[in-house]
Amino acid sequence: MYILAIDSATPVAGAALLRDEVLIAEAFANVGLTHSETLMPMVDRILKDTSLKARDVDVFAVTIGPGSFTGLRIGLAAAKGLALAADKPLIGISTLEVLAHNLSFSPLLVGTVLDARKGEIYGACFDVSQAYPQRLGEEMACSPESFCHHMDSLLEATGRSDLVLLGDGFITYRQQFAQHWGPKLKTVPLHQQLPRAASLASLARQRALQDDYDDRLLLRPTYIRLSEAQNRLGVGDL
Amino acid sequence: MTVNILGIETSCDETAAAVVQNGRHILSNVVNSQIDIHRLFGGVVPEVASRKHVENIGLVVEQAIKDSGLSYADLDAVAVTNRPGLIGALLVGLSFAKAFAFTLDKPLITVNHLYGHIYANLLEHPQLEFPVVCLVVSGGHTSLLLMHSESEYELIGETLDDAAGEAFDKVARFLGLGYPGGPAVQKAAAAGQPGRFSLPRVFLHRDDFDFSFSGLKTAVMNEWRKAQQQGEANVYDMAAEFQNALVEVLVGKTMQAAEKYNARSVIMAGGVAANSLLRELMTRRGQELGKPVYYPSLPLCTDNAAMIAAAAYPLYLQGQFAPLNVNAQASL
Repeated sequence: MYILAIDSATPVAGAALLRDEVLIAEAFANVGLTHSETLMPMVDRILKDTSLKARDVDVFAVTIGPGSFTGLRIGLAAAKGLALAADKPLIGISTLEVLAHNLSFSPLLVGTVLDARKGEIYGACFDVSQAYPQRLGEEMACSPESFCHHMDSLLEATGRSDLVLLGDGFITYRQQFAQHWGPKLKTVPLHQQLPRAASLASLARQRALQDDYDDRLLLRPTYIRLSEAQNRLGVGDL
Repeated sequence: MTVNILGIETSCDETAAAVVQNGRHILSNVVNSQIDIHRLFGGVVPEVASRKHVENIGLVVEQAIKDSGLSYADLDAVAVTNRPGLIGALLVGLSFAKAFAFTLDKPLITVNHLYGHIYANLLEHPQLEFPVVCLVVSGGHTSLLLMHSESEYELIGETLDDAAGEAFDKVARFLGLGYPGGPAVQKAAAAGQPGRFSLPRVFLHRDDFDFSFSGLKTAVMNEWRKAQQQGEANVYDMAAEFQNALVEVLVGKTMQAAEKYNARSVIMAGGVAANSLLRELMTRRGQELGKPVYYPSLPLCTDNAAMIAAAAYPLYLQGQFAPLNVNAQASL
């Protein structure tokens, strides 16, 4: 089974290819180009490197949000185009869960935080004591302060003392988080800090093994936030 | 040789896909309009439009291929609008089209939305003679193009601020007539008299082919407030005068251009080309000057993907294919 995973939810663009239990190709770019320019050439390159065609892929996977609204749509529109043309299933996975999967079998509580602009982050908390992450509580858009309190209550509830934060939101608000937690806040090595398409592929494989697919026509991104216009008018989801 | 092109269009608030054979025969034409959603806001909200596009794009494309009676393998190319338009909206269609074409191993062709509107005319009026002066007039554009042939064009004028359709929307909202503004103003105007208010014909006597409509909108507001103070604010009369002021400029400029460039035909395209007064006045002026005026039927006047697939056909024949890193552009 070949699984092709693509991610353009944050400033990172990534693509990875699994053949059964083996990662056979991965691409990563965090270079400030628009995803419209980077993502499909990346897919083309890893398929060429592995002498495969898009139609040989059995399952497509994409990060479904939260993240940059435009980035999420570039990724999902591409994933729908791939899955529909190849007539293969599609799996969408939370960007925050993909990030949490950078760490496994760790007693640390993991907070995954994306820079959501406007002084906020998208964040969630995960237990990564097993091979695959278990989310504790909701995915949210909130201030870094609110997220600190959210993590504190989960630290207390799970009887943990130490934690680690992953994602570009940690880079933006590093000082604030360090001030709040002091030495309880650990820092991971750089290769685990940002979302990796290989992590997405690994999570997608777990779902594919259970035939747990999304509707490749109707799948929508998880934005968490409404558009400004919807907020102003108070119309809710449309 | 038979060439089947799948067209995809998401530049504004319609998610559209179509299959067109040899640039002329429409095999399918699917349009999912978001008009009811944007009516809530009194205009197109770019973020909301982009969200709806990514939800609907797969359904719309699948339906278009199904309606065409063809299989994926029968498609020869995938064409998509990549400029101009709402950037977030364009990126949905473009990203989908890239992946779809790539997976089917077919060439990708990027199309200028304005040229698409021109090809809507060629789809329905293959007899029209060149050179042609074309007025593209919609919620996003007001442009005059000179076409020497099917594939040679130049832009000779455009709006320096609001598009004509945008002016219709803004004035309709100001007067409380509803959304979309074009049909709402037209309906109100039918019950009023032009000339009871006095609005400017902006740029009509300048010797270039540019337009400006934001001043007209401001003039409507000023005249309206004055009339309200005097207790003479008749909304139907204002709608009629506004529609006349806008249409007279569009017709006047287009015909000036047709004379200057010795055009043999005049075509109109875009959503505002559905306005009856514009159609009537342009046709009458064309008859006086011996220049036949053409415009598309209503379904091809507004945004659709059949026109995109049709516009891609000459590009297909010339082998003008886009690379996978091609981007979308908000402006021309």
